[in-house]
Amino acid sequence: MGYVNRRNRTIAGVFLLPTVAVLFLTTIYPMLYALYLSFRNYDLAKPFIPRIFVGLANFQEVLTSGPFMHSMWITFKLMAVTLTFQFVIGVGLALLVTQRLPGMAAIRTLLLIPMMISPVIVGLVWLFIYFPELGYLNYFIGLIGINPIPWITSTQWALTAIAIADIWQWTPFVMMGTAAALQSLSPEPYEAALIDGNSRIDVFLYVTLPQLKPVLISLLFLRAIDAFKIYDIIFVLTKGGPGDATETIALYIYRQSFTFWRMGVGAAASFVSLIIISVLITLFFKSMQKSAVAR
Amino acid sequence: MNKISTRQATFVYIVTGIILIIFMIPIYLILASSLKPSADMFSRPPTVFFTPTLQHYVDLFTLRPFHQNILNSLIVTLGSTAFSVTVGSLGAFALSRIRHPRINDAAFWILSMRMFPPIAVVVPYYIIFKSVGLLDTPLALIIVYSTANIPLTVWLMKGFFDEVPEALEEAAQVDGYGIVEIFYRITLPLAAPGLAVCAVFCFIFSWNEFLFALMLTGSSAQTATVAVMSFWSSDAVQWGRIMAGSFIILIPGVIFVLTCQKWLVKGLTLGSVK
Repeated sequence: MGYVNRRNRTIAGVFLLPTVAVLFLTTIYPMLYALYLSFRNYDLAKPFIPRIFVGLANFQEVLTSGPFMHSMWITFKLMAVTLTFQFVIGVGLALLVTQRLPGMAAIRTLLLIPMMISPVIVGLVWLFIYFPELGYLNYFIGLIGINPIPWITSTQWALTAIAIADIWQWTPFVMMGTAAALQSLSPEPYEAALIDGNSRIDVFLYVTLPQLKPVLISLLFLRAIDAFKIYDIIFVLTKGGPGDATETIALYIYRQSFTFWRMGVGAAASFVSLIIISVLITLFFKSMQKSAVAR
Repeated sequence: MNKISTRQATFVYIVTGIILIIFMIPIYLILASSLKPSADMFSRPPTVFFTPTLQHYVDLFTLRPFHQNILNSLIVTLGSTAFSVTVGSLGAFALSRIRHPRINDAAFWILSMRMFPPIAVVVPYYIIFKSVGLLDTPLALIIVYSTANIPLTVWLMKGFFDEVPEALEEAAQVDGYGIVEIFYRITLPLAAPGLAVCAVFCFIFSWNEFLFALMLTGSSAQTATVAVMSFWSSDAVQWGRIMAGSFIILIPGVIFVLTCQKWLVKGLTLGSVK
């Protein structure tokens, strides 16, 4: 028990009280309020109409009508594409920047910059790059003979355009995490494997990768949690459009709540998304505990 | 890592060099476009050598009240950082010192509070703040940002407090110190670097935030990120101003990367990577 005896434990509880009280008021209470709204018909444009109890009608609309399921599909499709690229490029980069060569530390530092930039700024600079008629990207791909691509104005390309911006911002995160993990591994197994005459690729696949696995899984869940919430970049680039081509769950909730003023439906969709993200969060914590035990 | 040959080193430099250039292009574009005269903004071929102008920066502060937006951002950011680090480090100390089989669950529960999608709670916040008259005030954003900053501080500071040897605190207790005195005279000074790390993370998060700032502020409490977005209007896009504003906003993040890279891993991976 150490020096923290019964009396001190009570005081330790007092230390914890402000955190719990603030979080309850500012997080749990709004969530419960969202739950309350999700059972009501609440039109924010007409605040004087009573908020009628509508039972599970909002949930029924969210779960059985097309648009929410469509936004779920878009969200997971975007997540799958961005995470794949972020991990392939990020892990590859980590292997490169951890080589003991002069200048590598500086390169690695510069590569970290994108993820510290406000997502709204990321959206704006990519909007500048993709901009119809004027954007630099179409000019440069024109130089190598590719016809202009309607990056953000066609349903066919808009999601790709968003994915590229997100991959640009978050690949450094995967690189950073993987590089840190690589440097904490002990060098002996590689040296032994290389001396035994295995190729570098084999050494990576059978010696390095298994050791990196716990860290990569934690990073994967962290990225998945963030990807699930993606909002700012899409808001700037396409606002969910054209049509509903890039409408992720966050954009669906935004549109229901602040374009159609259907707060009840927005709240019901929010609640469904809270349940999904709780699953991802639980998986992240499990992976963290596992890697702590492995250590 | 093992030694590599000159040929392999050349390969490593070429590949990382190309990737580095690709990754730096958007950042270069922000800086270059913020200094380019509007006439050259989209010239073909792109002008690499142009006479830089500070006109867009001047416009930001004369034609637009961008200093007011920056001031709002600073009030919100510093307010939330101070509040979160104070409340969060108290909570972290408790979690670090209480011995209970389920204390880790409590820590995870607190951390999970920052992982929920902001969009899911923005409607309740909007309605609550509207009913108590806090819409479009810095205080509303200070409260909202603290819901993300406090859990992060609790989580990170717990790690720092765990490393302070309890023997020191026991010795102080023998000397007759109460637990509050032990906390701020002994434990907190020893974990001071942690406080700085948490403060920086809270600062960057609040400074960069957009969604809540967009929904919960109007003209008077508008922060810098929302203001920059507002320069984008369909009739005339002020790219020079957007880029000048963007560059100002990205400065704190870049300084952070260049100065405390060591802490970046810990903070951003929430300690899941050592």
